[in-house]
Amino acid sequence: MFRFKKEQSIVNVAGVKFGGQPGELATVLCGTIFYQGHKIVQDEERGIYDRSAAERLVSRQAELSEETGNPAVLHLYARTIEALEKYLAFAELNWAGPIIIDSADATVRAAAAGLVSELGYADKTIYNSISVATDETEARAIRDSEVDSAILLAYNPTDSGVDGTLQVLEGGASMTKKGLIPLAEDLGITNVLIDPGVVPMGSGAGVALRFSVVAKARLGLPVGSGIHNAVSAWPWLGKKEKAIKRCCDAAASAMQLLAAGDFLLYGPIENAGFIFPAAAMADILVAESVRDLDIEPMANHPVNRLV
Amino acid sequence: MAEEPPQKKSFDESWPPVRGEYAIGDPNAGVAVVTLASQLHVRGAAIIGPCKTENLGVEKIVANVISNCNIRFLLLCGAESKGHLPGNTILALHKNGIDEQGRIIGSKGAIPFIQNLVPGAVLRFQEQVQLIDFIGLEDEAKIAELVEIYNRQAEPYPMEPFQVVKKKTPMKSVLAGEGDLFLGSGVVMDSNAWLVLA
Repeated sequence: MFRFKKEQSIVNVAGVKFGGQPGELATVLCGTIFYQGHKIVQDEERGIYDRSAAERLVSRQAELSEETGNPAVLHLYARTIEALEKYLAFAELNWAGPIIIDSADATVRAAAAGLVSELGYADKTIYNSISVATDETEARAIRDSEVDSAILLAYNPTDSGVDGTLQVLEGGASMTKKGLIPLAEDLGITNVLIDPGVVPMGSGAGVALRFSVVAKARLGLPVGSGIHNAVSAWPWLGKKEKAIKRCCDAAASAMQLLAAGDFLLYGPIENAGFIFPAAAMADILVAESVRDLDIEPMANHPVNRLV
Repeated sequence: MAEEPPQKKSFDESWPPVRGEYAIGDPNAGVAVVTLASQLHVRGAAIIGPCKTENLGVEKIVANVISNCNIRFLLLCGAESKGHLPGNTILALHKNGIDEQGRIIGSKGAIPFIQNLVPGAVLRFQEQVQLIDFIGLEDEAKIAELVEIYNRQAEPYPMEPFQVVKKKTPMKSVLAGEGDLFLGSGVVMDSNAWLVLA
């Protein structure tokens, strides 16, 4: 593998570290709960869910994190702010680490930024996400909140290649007034995580892999992706049995890690059971490959715990 | 006796040209059905499937509709996908088209852009099909009824099928710089030192 000439920044959110040179830190794994269509959710609007099932899923992720050394983040997806309030209350009782707040609805995301500030969770919250779709109302809500960590979704709808994706971050993409990185700075975001936005296979999913290396080389910021989206949106694979889908999901995750990924939005939290071992394995292989490149893995890295 | 002119083909054998999460019904039918975020099963349509995104998903629909001249009605039904609003975006695309950057004019979706369609595809979409807006309807029996009604009204569009050829990413020459492996965007790797440089 390789090391970057540019210094690689390390972002610390509530004690969880993202970034660094490949092989230095364990990859951060973010499992989503209460997502659209999650079987444990009975009412997405009101946030009614099966509490004991949710507790089992969250504690399983925590156990696997403890076992492998891969830090974990709880990715909360909410359809409404009413639902998010309930999910945050659940996270407060059942999850000690960082959380990602997310919704497809910009008004919910904006309200969520205010809510976590009021509740005192802002310092452990990662806002998902700031993108070309972030309008002035959402921007104001982030600026007015105490949230200082965010994922920048660098998807460029007019040029989804590596160059176009970088343009969205740095400035110069025609559909935005300024790049997402300067925008995030304006909004008070000090902990920046980069996500290229993974499109389906056939539309350029693989771009995320090369982008990850290029973005770290140029920007020195932590990069990751939700590469599982490419796998789950692949109609051909959709007809195959579960075990085959899981193999592909694990393989895609490992590929993202091999391409210098610092974090993985690995999708449904149910997948923790096979994603954590796959990621830990990829982390070990990467760490061993760069040992003579003056990169020392951290004490809790899987290479120091599992082999 | 004069020979009859060869009959115009409404669609190629390879139709639909773009793969996706849809079911093919009768390619000679006049109605295509978009079920948005819902998974619905209705017979009688040329093609039926969900659409959850306001950019790539919409592009696929346009490509698969205009490459079959039999399709004259696009029925929008099922639950709207929150935030992305592909239903609203299809309506906006049909009504207003796109601007010079590819943004779908008037869409309320998050990132409503057309990136991969050749020029003329949107205009053809606007001309070939009429949209039937039943966004929110999830009753499969009622949707089947609508398909039947509009199938009866459909006459093939009197042109050749419009083939959407995907734009090819232009090849770029890459300068070597200090490295011997090239990652693009000015990033190279010196493979002796396994060092990635920007």
